[in-house]
Amino acid sequence: MNDYAGLVTRAIAFAIDAAIINLAAAVVAVIVGLGVSVLNVPDAVVTVAVAAGGVAYVVWTVGYFTTFWSTTGQTPGSRVMGIRVVCTQGDDAISLRRALTRVAGMVLAAIPFFAGFLVIAVDDRRRGLQDHLARTLVLYVPAAK
Amino acid sequence: MAIGSGLLRSGVQLGVDVGRVALRPAAGAVDLGRRAGARVTLDALDAVLASALAEAAADRVLASPWTERTMTRALTGPLVDAAAREVARGAVIEPMLHEVLAAEVLEQVARNPEVERMVASLFESHLLDEVVARLLQSDELWRVVDEIARSPAVTDAITQQSFSFADQVAGEVRDRSRNADALVERTTRRLLRRRPPTGAV
Repeated sequence: MNDYAGLVTRAIAFAIDAAIINLAAAVVAVIVGLGVSVLNVPDAVVTVAVAAGGVAYVVWTVGYFTTFWSTTGQTPGSRVMGIRVVCTQGDDAISLRRALTRVAGMVLAAIPFFAGFLVIAVDDRRRGLQDHLARTLVLYVPAAK
Repeated sequence: MAIGSGLLRSGVQLGVDVGRVALRPAAGAVDLGRRAGARVTLDALDAVLASALAEAAADRVLASPWTERTMTRALTGPLVDAAAREVARGAVIEPMLHEVLAAEVLEQVARNPEVERMVASLFESHLLDEVVARLLQSDELWRVVDEIARSPAVTDAITQQSFSFADQVAGEVRDRSRNADALVERTTRRLLRRRPPTGAV
């Protein structure tokens, strides 16, 4: 078996990351919502706050992935599943710019009914659309003894 | 002067040595007698415990109202709390074990079937339940349990166990997901009639 991480492992890792992101966002949203509910805030302010919350959510999500990929190469979900994102040229963690490109590539891969991710199942190095765009690979990390 | 003192000291030492040699047979005889006495006592104890009289006596003692009254009074008194306190301090069990385990008498008594029967009847009686109930009501006992549960050794062991279990679960998930990766890839390639990837097994 080669060292490239496959579709199922990567999907589970992504699900774990999504759960962490949404749990944290939900906690913050509940705290802010409870605070706003006891204050007599005009509707316009609430609308602006919701829009700001949406932007904050996007920033939080992008920041989550880019920070982990560009530092250790592993998000918490990747760590649980024993996989790591690296450059195609070597085993180094990817740069911040490539991490941002990879996040954008994930969005693009999801648009055509996730077809961009299904490429992983037929690519020789198990690369999805985001990996082709950012020139990255996802490898299995050998288990620590 | 010094020569006289030295001679005197040598004379006294010589007298002491001679006395020791002379008393050695007597000391040996006393030691032999003590060992023979202990052996005879143990044999007599075995004979008494093996007799039907011992069984009847044990039954009567256990069934007598005096035993029940005495045990009830002892259990309802301050004795149990005091014993629990001593156990908590470790002041009772350890010296007692050292003394009792060293004794040959205990070994012989424990091997005796009559003693086994007496212990069994004690366990079947309601006295043991009362002892357990009193112990469970004792604050000292729960203080000991709390201290043990909070001890760093126990908490470290529990933490270590939890981490090991989580690692084990994660490892199992990883193994299964890697097998699933290979399966999905094989199936997809077969459907699309593509060749297996280079280097794949």
